[in-house]
Amino acid sequence: MQGLHMVGVRHAYGRTQVLNDISLTVPAGELVCLLGPSGCGKTTLLRIAAGMERLQGGSVTIDEQVVAAPNVQVPPEERQIGFMFQDYALFPHLSVFDNVAFGLFRLDQGAARTRAMEVLEQVGMTHHADKHPHLLSGGQQQRVALARALAPKPRLVLLDEPFAGLDTNMRARVRQQTLSVLKQTNVATLMVTHDPREAMFMADRIKVMGENGQILQSGRPEDIYYNPVEEYVARLFGPMNMIKGTVRNGALETSFGVLSVNGQDDGAAVRLLIRPEGINLSSNGDQPGDTPVEVISAHLLGDSSIVRIRIRDGINSGAEFQARIPGAFDLMGGGRTWARVDPAHVFPYPQEQ
Amino acid sequence: MFSPILKNNKPTESFDMVEITQSFKIEVEAIDADHRRLVEIINEITDAIDDGRAEECVALVPNFVEFSQQHFEREEALLTKHAYPLAEKHRQHHVGLTDKMKTIQALSERAAHSQPAADALRKELVFILMDDVINEDLAFKSFLVKAEAEGGAG
Ligand SMILES: Nc1ncnc2c1ncn2[C@@H]1O[C@H](COP(=O)(O)OP(=O)(O)OP(=O)(O)O)[C@@H](O)[C@H]1O
Ligand SMILES: [Fe+2]
Ligand SMILES: [Fe+2]
Ligand SMILES: [Mg+2]
Repeated sequence: MQGLHMVGVRHAYGRTQVLNDISLTVPAGELVCLLGPSGCGKTTLLRIAAGMERLQGGSVTIDEQVVAAPNVQVPPEERQIGFMFQDYALFPHLSVFDNVAFGLFRLDQGAARTRAMEVLEQVGMTHHADKHPHLLSGGQQQRVALARALAPKPRLVLLDEPFAGLDTNMRARVRQQTLSVLKQTNVATLMVTHDPREAMFMADRIKVMGENGQILQSGRPEDIYYNPVEEYVARLFGPMNMIKGTVRNGALETSFGVLSVNGQDDGAAVRLLIRPEGINLSSNGDQPGDTPVEVISAHLLGDSSIVRIRIRDGINSGAEFQARIPGAFDLMGGGRTWARVDPAHVFPYPQEQ
Repeated sequence: MFSPILKNNKPTESFDMVEITQSFKIEVEAIDADHRRLVEIINEITDAIDDGRAEECVALVPNFVEFSQQHFEREEALLTKHAYPLAEKHRQHHVGLTDKMKTIQALSERAAHSQPAADALRKELVFILMDDVINEDLAFKSFLVKAEAEGGAG
């Protein structure tokens, strides 16, 4: 199959085991994101794919060529991979054009020129071709770095936190451009990030790594967000509300009504995690599950607000929660407020013993 | 226009969407044969999508789901027969794919009317087979090849 295929990759630095049996498949044309905490081994895995780190166990295959296996170690420059690593900057003494043409030494001068201009066109940077990198903005530099990575028509693109140095607006723009260029190119891409929203935006498939150097969950962004298999995965997307309790008749009684905890046995101690965006607020309280709350504070974030609330009635009376609502919250109005939970944002996990 | 990446210098049209190439072989014929059949079903589905017959997905996707289930049972029986130490863990992995099977069934029902659903279905089928099903099987490859060689002679 065309693309990247890693099987059972293991890696240790000295006596510290960093990667434990990592397997992944990136078909040509698809973008897979590795998402995980700092130090879990994401960069190490990319360096193994690239050949910058010697393989210790498992195998790496690109377009059905085995590039790393117990008795095979194809050097990086022969793997036909394009990189965009955080610490893999543009050459400051070369022009934009020369940076992009740098990897095209196998082509004659005319063909190299044509190809370099073609990719610069693709990333919208032809009019900056003669400039030196220090005259470009961070976002423009990233676009040149992408052009340089794609110029030799790699079989695989590896991106390691490629947008980390950019401010929010620039980051969103470059992210969008990078994605559309990669999709036009139809190349297999493996990208590393520890920003879950960036992974959601970019990825066809997300692979969540845990601190133990194993993959905890693989799936579409929707699967990771709506079906997190572990509490750790659920918590990736930000702070969570929590209700503890004991399962009765396959459900947990809460101030928000009886919430189902499918998969947990009766009598089991569970924690229900509720996303802030899963708590809806209203001023009339006429829906089933509406419970009266006291609003403690509201914080406008721009397109949404975080509203801190305290439950007034029922089994969770006095407990505080965070709701995330679209737009601003009218704290000054002084009217009464009710809260309701959207079951799609509720995740039950067993309480640790 | 930008040309697509060269794929072994062969025109891409001659390729099926997926195939069991060397790096995906378990080298135990009973299992590889099942995996090849799953690939065939996927290629029938992607052909239907590409030929403007996406309405056939509703009938074809259950073939994939049902054959996967039968395959999982055969594979689990083989692992148990050879006392593979992680057989139970692998069985759990198969059970864990239930939600993804539901997802592709839901997508198949929308594929006829929605190109994004058809695209998502195609993508997810390939990932389920190559990344979830086969790649996880490769973990027992060496164990099973050895066990079959020893057991097969007797
Ligand atoms: N050359 C090295 N020698 C020894 N230990 C290393 C080396 N490189 C990385 N490590 C350690 O291996 C672990 C994994 O590092 P790695 O850089 O792969 O993590 P990461 O997931 O990319 O983290 P981050 O998100 O912070 O970039 C870390 O604990 C790190 O300290
Ligand atoms: Fe299998
Ligand atoms: Fe399996
Ligand atoms: Mg890193």
